Amino acid sequence: MSQPSPSPPRARTEVADDGSVILWVGGAWAAGTPLPEVAFRADRVCVRTDGLGLFDSSLPAWLHAHLRTVRSVDLADLPERLKALIRMAENVALTGTPDEGPGLLENIGSWGVESGSSWGRALEHIGHTALGFLRALVGRARVNWSELTLQMQTAGVDALPIVALLGFLTGLIMAYVGLIQLRQVGATVYVANLVALAMAREMGALMTGVIACGRTSTAFASQLGSMNVSQETDALRALGINPVEFLALPRILAVTLMVPVLSVFATFVGVFGGMLVACAGELSVEQYVTQAILAVSWRSFMAGFVKSIAFGFIAAWAGCYRGSVAKRSALGVGEAATSAAVLGITLIVIADAVFAVLFNLYGV
Amino acid sequence: MGREVLACENLCVGHGGRAIMSDVSFSLEHGRILAVVGPSGCGKSTLMRALSGLDEPVSGRSTLLGQDLAVATAGEREDTLRRLGFLFQGSALFSSLTLRENVELPIREFLSPPRRELRQLAEYKLALVGLSDAMDKLPSEISGGMAKRAALARALALDPEVLFLDEPGAGLDPVTASRMDELILRVREAFGTTIVMVSHEVPSILRTADYCVYLDTDTGRMGAYGPPRDLLTSDAHPRARAFFSQTHRT
Ligand SMILES: Nc1ncnc2c1ncn2[C@@H]1O[C@H](COP(=O)(O)OP(=O)(O)O)[C@@H](O)[C@H]1O
Ligand SMILES: [Mg+2]
Repeated sequence: MSQPSPSPPRARTEVADDGSVILWVGGAWAAGTPLPEVAFRADRVCVRTDGLGLFDSSLPAWLHAHLRTVRSVDLADLPERLKALIRMAENVALTGTPDEGPGLLENIGSWGVESGSSWGRALEHIGHTALGFLRALVGRARVNWSELTLQMQTAGVDALPIVALLGFLTGLIMAYVGLIQLRQVGATVYVANLVALAMAREMGALMTGVIACGRTSTAFASQLGSMNVSQETDALRALGINPVEFLALPRILAVTLMVPVLSVFATFVGVFGGMLVACAGELSVEQYVTQAILAVSWRSFMAGFVKSIAFGFIAAWAGCYRGSVAKRSALGVGEAATSAAVLGITLIVIADAVFAVLFNLYGV
Repeated sequence: MGREVLACENLCVGHGGRAIMSDVSFSLEHGRILAVVGPSGCGKSTLMRALSGLDEPVSGRSTLLGQDLAVATAGEREDTLRRLGFLFQGSALFSSLTLRENVELPIREFLSPPRRELRQLAEYKLALVGLSDAMDKLPSEISGGMAKRAALARALALDPEVLFLDEPGAGLDPVTASRMDELILRVREAFGTTIVMVSHEVPSILRTADYCVYLDTDTGRMGAYGPPRDLLTSDAHPRARAFFSQTHRT
């Protein structure tokens, strides 16, 4: 309906002898192209055409917006089909009837895709996600970017308290257990190395990854799962919008960006927790901090950082994937949330093992 | 007129490879209205999803807007879907968005007009279905009949070339339902929209539809195809006639 317009849409007003306003419209009207602006105040308006070309519903919408408050409108000069489109909108006195509701979807049995091999579908979903990121890079994907900041807030900022608490306790416990052992060999000063290295390389990333699985994967799985139940994903597809790109991409990106930040934060909080234990006993604060800084090489820090990026991606992807293949029922949504957390944590631990082997091989 | 917009040949549709309705063959020209009728559960919604390219058929071929859906790539399918409007039986409104935002979403995504025109278009589409007063409500705050109308407004958002309407009149009182019929006719008249709709209301079908497909549950095949008046009066399809002469409801 939006052919290249031969002439742009035009509109102008003219005051008639009897004080009423004549609104002239002409040209070709297409939604998404700039529409003319007119301002008038009148009780009676007569709409006339002047070289009116092709139009889509932007013209009746424009007229509707301008004529809504006018008491008497004369449309006699308009083509019949345009007149009808405006009249239909004028009458807004329709009444809604309460009815039996959307009749809990006729989805009996399992969702068609559910029958296939679930690993095949998981790979397919990863493929779609990767393709979506590529398309987003070249600007061809339809992504709901407004979701990105919202998800960064909920997956990142809102997780700060729990990450802080768990990070602090982890550092504290490690220092406590470490001290008992190190005291036997008289090397208590190394407790700082132990805590700092473990937090930076291993625990910071692993812990935030697991927290992301518990908080974010489950949330994503139930969000996307319930959108499946109410056919909202179908509605997106029917609009020609790819649900993976529109819904999953901003979520995955948000979590992949936020988990590394949280992980670094957890590392610092953990080292601080360890310090409280260590310095309550035999070490001075200065000793502890110096040892901690010496212990963590740039490489070790980066190793933890890279891992946390991967863990964030895994956690978010697991949630989106389980949500998008959720069975279309309330039960299915619950199952999706559970299995998202399980899948996320499992994959994170496996990935951690793979990283350990790789880092060992390449001497990181 | 005369351009074929939608056609299928020996189409067999179902779920998970299991056939529910087979031998569906018909063709629909530009600007025509086709009614799909049949007992509840016979596969009308399933057929609509296959015809629009949302789901794959079990077997058979269908073309939509000159695109053979069996051989179309995912990208081509998406491009075709973009030219359609689909009203789902369960409305399928985005539950976290208000009615206005529901209608704005496709307009914003595909036309990205300035803010004011976006509002204008969305408000106009909602006024067409008589929801001017409920624009800022969430889908959970409206009745089923209102949700149907909001979903119709969303389906009309981009002036689609083909409209698939799954029971647009269900849950509406007779007056509102007949206004929806009139709206459908006006939209067709104004934009030459081709329309496929599932309906149970015989008067509404007689008023709006040019052709009618009757799906027969007993045989699991398409039972009859033709102008609704013919199905109502001729003796060729006794079951279709019996169906028409009663008032069925889901
Ligand atoms: N998602 C689904 N998975 C499996 N079977 C389904 C699904 N949806 C519907 N069905 C079955 O397909 C048949 C036709 O359903 P449907 O097309 O919704 O009927 P209707 O004609 O009432 O629209 C029904 O028997 C229903 O049980
Ligand atoms: Mg149905």
